[in-house]
Amino acid sequence: MAKQPAQLTRRTTAALLGSGLAMPALHAQTNILRFGLTPVFLDSDLALLRDLEAYLSGALGLPVQMVKRRTYQEVLALLLSRQIDAAWICGYPLVQHRNQIAALSVPLHRGRPLYQSYLIADAATSIGSLDDMRGHSHAFSDPDSNSGFLVTRWMLAERGTRPERWFSSSFFALGHRNVIRAVGTGLAASGSVDGYVWEVMAERETELTAQTRVVARSAWHGFPPICCLMEQRDAPLSQSLARALEGMKATPSGARILATLQLEGFIPADLALYEGIARMSDAVRRAG
Amino acid sequence: MITRPTGWSLALRVPLMVGGLVVVVAFVFSLGVLQRLEQDQRLHLAQLAATYLDGMATAVQPALLQRDIWEAFAALDRARMHYEGPRAVSTAVLLADGRVLAAADPRAWPSGVTLPADVAERAARAAAGEPILDPQRARATLARDLFEGGIPIGRIVAELDIAPLLKARAKMRQTLILASAALTLLFAGAGFLLVRVFLRPVETLRRHVLASAATGGLMPPLPPEAFAHVGNEFNALFQALNRTASAVAEREDIAARLAEEERFAQLGRLASSMAHEVNNALGGMMTAVDTIATHGSDPAIRAASLGFLQRGLADIANVVRANLASYKGEAGAGPLRATDLDDLRHFVRHEMERRGIRLEWSNTLPAELAVDRTLVRQIVLNLLLNATAVSSAGGTVSMHAGEKEGLIRIEIADAGPGLPADAAAMLEAPQATPPRDGGLGLWTASRLAARLGGALQPMPAAQGTIIALLVPSPRPYADVG
Repeated sequence: MAKQPAQLTRRTTAALLGSGLAMPALHAQTNILRFGLTPVFLDSDLALLRDLEAYLSGALGLPVQMVKRRTYQEVLALLLSRQIDAAWICGYPLVQHRNQIAALSVPLHRGRPLYQSYLIADAATSIGSLDDMRGHSHAFSDPDSNSGFLVTRWMLAERGTRPERWFSSSFFALGHRNVIRAVGTGLAASGSVDGYVWEVMAERETELTAQTRVVARSAWHGFPPICCLMEQRDAPLSQSLARALEGMKATPSGARILATLQLEGFIPADLALYEGIARMSDAVRRAG
Repeated sequence: MITRPTGWSLALRVPLMVGGLVVVVAFVFSLGVLQRLEQDQRLHLAQLAATYLDGMATAVQPALLQRDIWEAFAALDRARMHYEGPRAVSTAVLLADGRVLAAADPRAWPSGVTLPADVAERAARAAAGEPILDPQRARATLARDLFEGGIPIGRIVAELDIAPLLKARAKMRQTLILASAALTLLFAGAGFLLVRVFLRPVETLRRHVLASAATGGLMPPLPPEAFAHVGNEFNALFQALNRTASAVAEREDIAARLAEEERFAQLGRLASSMAHEVNNALGGMMTAVDTIATHGSDPAIRAASLGFLQRGLADIANVVRANLASYKGEAGAGPLRATDLDDLRHFVRHEMERRGIRLEWSNTLPAELAVDRTLVRQIVLNLLLNATAVSSAGGTVSMHAGEKEGLIRIEIADAGPGLPADAAAMLEAPQATPPRDGGLGLWTASRLAARLGGALQPMPAAQGTIIALLVPSPRPYADVG
């Protein structure tokens, strides 16, 4: 395949994606955009992936390949190793690699490029605070997720403790939706989850979020941005991608995608949005 | 009144037996099908369980190795979503120490705790063999131990809802029982009716034979309506039966006519004998009358002639009385008296004298016996005439009659050449057809003896033939009733 990259059609790429196969040799091509995704946003929505791929492909005038991985770490590795051109990642990896990664665009949710982390509890329990969660099991989303790990990790660090000491057991569900499910089914007594995801699911899968209860909301943090390598920030492809995202709300297909994601659009990213995350990251690092 | 089954007619018993046999066969068949169904379901469930556990093992093994609660849960959840077999009520992945890593329903089996003791016990047994079925709870417990490099790392436990299987089995059982019962009734009923139809000729035959036996007469031919709706075999049988009945009736008719003819022949011979006796006496009496007419003045001659006349008239009276005694009535007209037998001497005397044969007569019978006198006289007279016919001149024919211990025994001996073999055979089978070449008198006597309930029996004899008439002797008529 590496010898005939030009023959890789969008349909073929979509089919390969649909089948879950990765294309490790595609980084050698230049006339295709590889876009990395993580469970930072709604999981398992293949139709949304297909629509987003179609929109970007049309807007950029070249094939776009969505590359989905289970963990932030995997997507980040792909980005840092140039196997993908851009990725929608969390603010936490961004601040951890702020010298290598640049934020291109950031979504607007409810009019602002901000979101919160939620601490949720099993609705069948009486847990009402982080203190109540002590001695119970807890579900995190991803070790590189701001809302799904860092915020809670930081809150515990502020208490001078760590998750493994605070909770009886904890695990990573690798996806905010999975955290909500784990807590809703009783697999974990509580969980750390992206507030944006919980709110969207509260409208779409009410029966699932109804089994959970929001116990605490964090301060507002910068919404997960679309990033590229720092050195690629000013490259034509990266700039085209940023324009395509920011122009999304102006096209019917883009507007449909935004409506599905319950976002209002994209704006150019400002690193200042992520200062709060950076502070927490530093604090946690210092706490050890 | 309820009769015992052994008293039921064949036309009822055989169809009932056929019906019963069908019921038994259907029952055994249904039992076999149900057992096979249960075996198949067990096998099916075991195969489903193996397939289910194969898929589960592949899915949860990595999570178990990493002790990844979410991945184990997600694998169980995916299995629950995608498995198309019996519904999994509870599934869990256990660590090697028996604690739950993750369960599909964490509220029932939370992570980090051990399973309830009863579930753990069933799981241990299931892991060692086949699924453990609990029909009461409609649950099947499956389990499989997982290993990595030969080291046990945990166990998959699942409890399946087998209510649909049990329901299907119950439904199948119900359907089978209903179908079997319906088919059994159908086949048993059809078999009953068919066999009844097939055996209807037997029932017809049975009723016909019993009816004719009840009348005591000959069996009449089957009526034409008996042949309606009868198969070829029974048609041929009925026709053969009717031919036999006709032949028997014809034979009886012939026998009766022959007996009548023989009686007339006897009558002719007796008439001739009587005429001869009377004529003999009349000759002497005419001479005596002439003597009286000529020498009637001589008292001595007159007295001698009158005495002669008197004896002659007595002889004639004896002959006439004997004939009257023999033929004034039909069979069964009265009891047998000793004198009835003695009268027979007058019938044969002339023939014996003509042939120069001597008669020995010994009659010790009681005064009166409750035996048909006419039949006895006919038998004895036949035997005496036969004995006279086969004896040569100068020979002796003897008659000895007596009664002892309820048996009348009358022996007739002759000085002939002995009893021919065919005549001896005829005595043994008195109901056989009459002989074609003579011997009709002996055949008639033999049949008459049978009618008396007795028999003619050839006796060993140094010379000639001795035939004994043996007749049971009941009480005298005077004592009856």
